[in-house]
Amino acid sequence: MRITRSLRRDRVFVTVAVLTFALVAAGCAKKSGAQTSSASGSGLAASKVKIAFVPGGPHPYFQPWKTAMNTAKTDFGLGGVTFNETSAWDQTKQNNVLQSLAAQGYNSFGVFGVSPDNINSTFQQLEGKGLKVASLGSCPAGTTDSASFCLATDVQTAAYKAAKATIAAMGGSGNLVHLTGNKTDSNTQRRIAGVKKAVAETGGKVKLIQTVTDIDTDLQTAQKAVADLLGAKGKQINGIVSTAYNPAVAAAAAVKKSGLPIKVVAIDDDPTILAGIKSGAIAGTVVQNPVGQAYVGAYALMKLQGGCTMSTPGQTIDSGSFVVDKSNVSTYDTQRQAETTQLKSDFDSKYLSCK
Amino acid sequence: MSAPTQQSDATPASDPQAVDLDAQRSLKGLPFWANPRFGLLVVIAALVVVFSSLRSSFLDTGLTLVPMQQDLSVFLVVGLAQLSVLSLGHMNLAVPRMAAISAFAMGWCYQHLSMPLALGLLVGLVVGAAVGALAGWIITATGVNSFIVTLALDFALVGLVSLLYSHVGDGVAFPVHPAGMTTLRNDTFSDYCTGNVCGPPVPLIVLFALAAAVLVAVLFRLSRIGREILMTGSNLTAARLSGIPTSRRVIQAHALSGALAALAGFLLAINSGAFSADIGNSFLLPSFLGPVLGGTLLSGGAVSVLGTLLGATLTEVIQTGLNLLNFSVQDLNIYIGLVLLVALSLDRVRHVLAERRGTRA
Repeated sequence: MRITRSLRRDRVFVTVAVLTFALVAAGCAKKSGAQTSSASGSGLAASKVKIAFVPGGPHPYFQPWKTAMNTAKTDFGLGGVTFNETSAWDQTKQNNVLQSLAAQGYNSFGVFGVSPDNINSTFQQLEGKGLKVASLGSCPAGTTDSASFCLATDVQTAAYKAAKATIAAMGGSGNLVHLTGNKTDSNTQRRIAGVKKAVAETGGKVKLIQTVTDIDTDLQTAQKAVADLLGAKGKQINGIVSTAYNPAVAAAAAVKKSGLPIKVVAIDDDPTILAGIKSGAIAGTVVQNPVGQAYVGAYALMKLQGGCTMSTPGQTIDSGSFVVDKSNVSTYDTQRQAETTQLKSDFDSKYLSCK
Repeated sequence: MSAPTQQSDATPASDPQAVDLDAQRSLKGLPFWANPRFGLLVVIAALVVVFSSLRSSFLDTGLTLVPMQQDLSVFLVVGLAQLSVLSLGHMNLAVPRMAAISAFAMGWCYQHLSMPLALGLLVGLVVGAAVGALAGWIITATGVNSFIVTLALDFALVGLVSLLYSHVGDGVAFPVHPAGMTTLRNDTFSDYCTGNVCGPPVPLIVLFALAAAVLVAVLFRLSRIGREILMTGSNLTAARLSGIPTSRRVIQAHALSGALAALAGFLLAINSGAFSADIGNSFLLPSFLGPVLGGTLLSGGAVSVLGTLLGATLTEVIQTGLNLLNFSVQDLNIYIGLVLLVALSLDRVRHVLAERRGTRA
């Protein structure tokens, strides 16, 4: 009996609570101008500009950002810089990290969005709070960018260049395999499109026999996938193009160990890959410009906080990519530094509008 | 048959939210602070004091408190999805992919059929419930452990979601923003006023999570079906012999789990701004963390919705606090683990002391 009375009382409580909420909600109206946004900078001096660099998670690609941001801090007299890689490739965590950094007083952000499909919403929220955001290393999916600008490698072009270099190393014909990262990342889809374009241009002389995705999570996963691939199709393969870091390292080591005459073209300039080029285990690599992204990105963010605006808000700017092989492995960094200097002056002359 | 009769020692008996009424009566002599939910509340309050004294920005409304509530809404519903099957003593390892497949269905409806937000959500809930019911049906029909069935289902759905986005969808996400989506993401009740009186800085999507929590609590506390599910989880044979249609209750609990996973997917899509293939990837561990921290038994027969809310809040507070203290990637997870361990050990010490005092009394 006591239980029945208790249940009846609970039901009455729930009904009263729902009715009260409905009555209160019925009389509400939305406040005008709830969301505020500042399109232009507030004229901050460089010493007041604090920039946070937030990659999608820990990855060798982002390590040069640390040195570049400290150089930028010294060169431009910035108020502070920090590097936070705790997002762990999770968009929700990255959003939390960005909000935490904003709460600590960072007013400018260089962000490699975990999910290109969702990152525009994050950018809108940050920009809506009057903060300045640059999309670094990866642009949002689609045609719009809610950050001030995107300074990144054109991944489709970089993949195209890598595939062309592999096809050239193969002698212009044969069977090609493409190793890459997360299939549900729109950047991976762009890389796949770039490789397919290069293969299509051979008029059927080169056949793309397999595209292996989702093997850039860690080196062990990549090593297993490459071992399986070589075990199953090793003798049919003439070239491997890798547009992700871990598969590139794994493919170079596995091909060298197997003694198969397969040409491998990798991505980025990690010491392991450069050593592979010098020893001949890797035919070449497509080098990107993460130093330029962080250094020039910091410069542009400082200018935007100082009162400049982007001539074309949300503009995509290619930070550059070029093929490195045995002939230029010792000298390519000079070319990259020149590219960074050029990028910085392009911001002054073309992309920024300062009164 | 109106209440389960079997009770484990670990059951949160003195908690008003806990459903085992017999146990509540038997341990009535315990002091109020013996309630595990009270312990969690104290730990959360202590952590809030510590974090806000170390970083005043912990109490920043726009940059800390509102985003925390948005995340908490998602992870409360994720926890409730797992709680629904924990009530049976089952597990649902496919919560992440049930969210993903439902998010695909919702995204597709918004993109290709231009459905209104609410109708698309309804479709997603139906898809989630159907996939959950399928898992429940396989478990009852084959007698295979829920761990195995939902693990296998998760693997199958990983491939299916990827294929659907590649062939039927638009790559890896639906960029569509149905009317109301941006409002739900950006607005708080403080944006809505009656005269000069505005609401609290609570995001609108919190309402979805609270509604889900109230419905689940009402289901398990007040409804015959809910209590029969708990009875099934407490002792399957006894429940069957008492005339409870146990197979149907298992399927219903799994369907509820699927529908809640779908709701969590919807809320995450609202928060992150797109219905994409990676929705649900981060759901598995939090789905267990909230209910288990809150006192829901892994062995079934007892659930606590309030405990799930407090468990999810505790993890959110720790995560945000450590973020604000700028812990490095190497340290962050270690400290999250340590803080959780210390917090729960202290809670256990408090509970044992309370039990001793209660026994003496």
